[in-house]
Amino acid sequence: MTTSPNRHALTMLNKVPEVTLIFWIIKIMSTTVGETGADYLAVHVGLGTATTGGIMLAFLVAALFLQLRASKYIPWKYWLTVVLVSVVGTQITDALTDGLGVSLYASTSVFAIALAAIFAFWYRIEGTLSIHTIVTRRRELFYWAAILFTFALGTAAGDLATEALGLGFRVGVIAFGALIAVIGVACYLGANAMLSFWLAYILTRPLGASLGDLLSQAKTYGGVGLGTVQTSIVFLSVIVVLVGLVSIQQSRATRKAIAVNE
Amino acid sequence: MLKNNLSKRLLAISFALLALGLFDVFPGVSIISSAYAAEPAKLGDLASFRTIVVDTLNLVQKGDLAGGKTRIKDLETSWDDAEPSLKPRAATDWHAVDKAIDNALSELRSNHPDQASCKKSLTDLLAIMDKVGGKH
Repeated sequence: MTTSPNRHALTMLNKVPEVTLIFWIIKIMSTTVGETGADYLAVHVGLGTATTGGIMLAFLVAALFLQLRASKYIPWKYWLTVVLVSVVGTQITDALTDGLGVSLYASTSVFAIALAAIFAFWYRIEGTLSIHTIVTRRRELFYWAAILFTFALGTAAGDLATEALGLGFRVGVIAFGALIAVIGVACYLGANAMLSFWLAYILTRPLGASLGDLLSQAKTYGGVGLGTVQTSIVFLSVIVVLVGLVSIQQSRATRKAIAVNE
Repeated sequence: MLKNNLSKRLLAISFALLALGLFDVFPGVSIISSAYAAEPAKLGDLASFRTIVVDTLNLVQKGDLAGGKTRIKDLETSWDDAEPSLKPRAATDWHAVDKAIDNALSELRSNHPDQASCKKSLTDLLAIMDKVGGKH
């Protein structure tokens, strides 16, 4: 490593994780858990969409508060916030579609424009969209606002693909997986890294939902037949294990950095 | 920086493998066919859902509105569980049935459920199910 101590200090304070393979795995799985978990509470437990929405929003506010107050990147706080943003982002889209009867064409366009506006403001004010320098409160807020809207947009665009194109979850897994693979290859070949990151981030929403459907749907419908509860538990367990792993890695790296600085 | 490049490479490779692997898992499914799937398809066999509606209607006709409320919960959960599978088959039909189910649910769950309104919402629901199910 040839990084200077200054550069290193900045990295330490960056409050979001580096984008690694584990990052994407946790992201995709948290999307699935977000979808199935909220649905379970609303329908099976019978709380209804409004109550579930209220509870999840309260949890999100609490998690976001924890995340914003943290002085550095703490994996469990970060990923708890992502899971809850996923739930609430999905619920915003569902409330618009099912509750208010807004067409998916309209919500997809509006969310796309809103997300573009967030990026435009973010870039105009901060001069960068880098996720490697989320080191101020304002950048953090831009970051989380962008993430909330990628979930809302990903949900609306994914549902639109289901309704307009009749894309089932089996084709969905392939189509969204292939699109992300194309972005991954483009990025590897030199496409803009930030653009690639956010496009992939949006697409992991419908991919995660299709993947969750594939595992949870009954065998008669072409799914694996695990059911939503088991799928959620399996994914949640994997997330907990991976976040634990990342936490251990991080605390080791911190100790090493302190040792080096001394 | 080395680490960054490595993870980028790993990411690209893993997604490529994921995509390839999925083509293997579902050899019969191709992205091209989905483009043609836009023409309206039927929702398929709704018999299991229809049975619950008939049961609920029988309970309501006997005056057992509380029993009907309990039985229709089975419809709500099984219909919701099947949404990811059924909706892509025929979104418009799915929405029509879904709306009729919502009506029946709210009638049976109202604070003072009315036997006649409950019965009407359930017979409407059966009519819509039979219509989209092909039994005109």
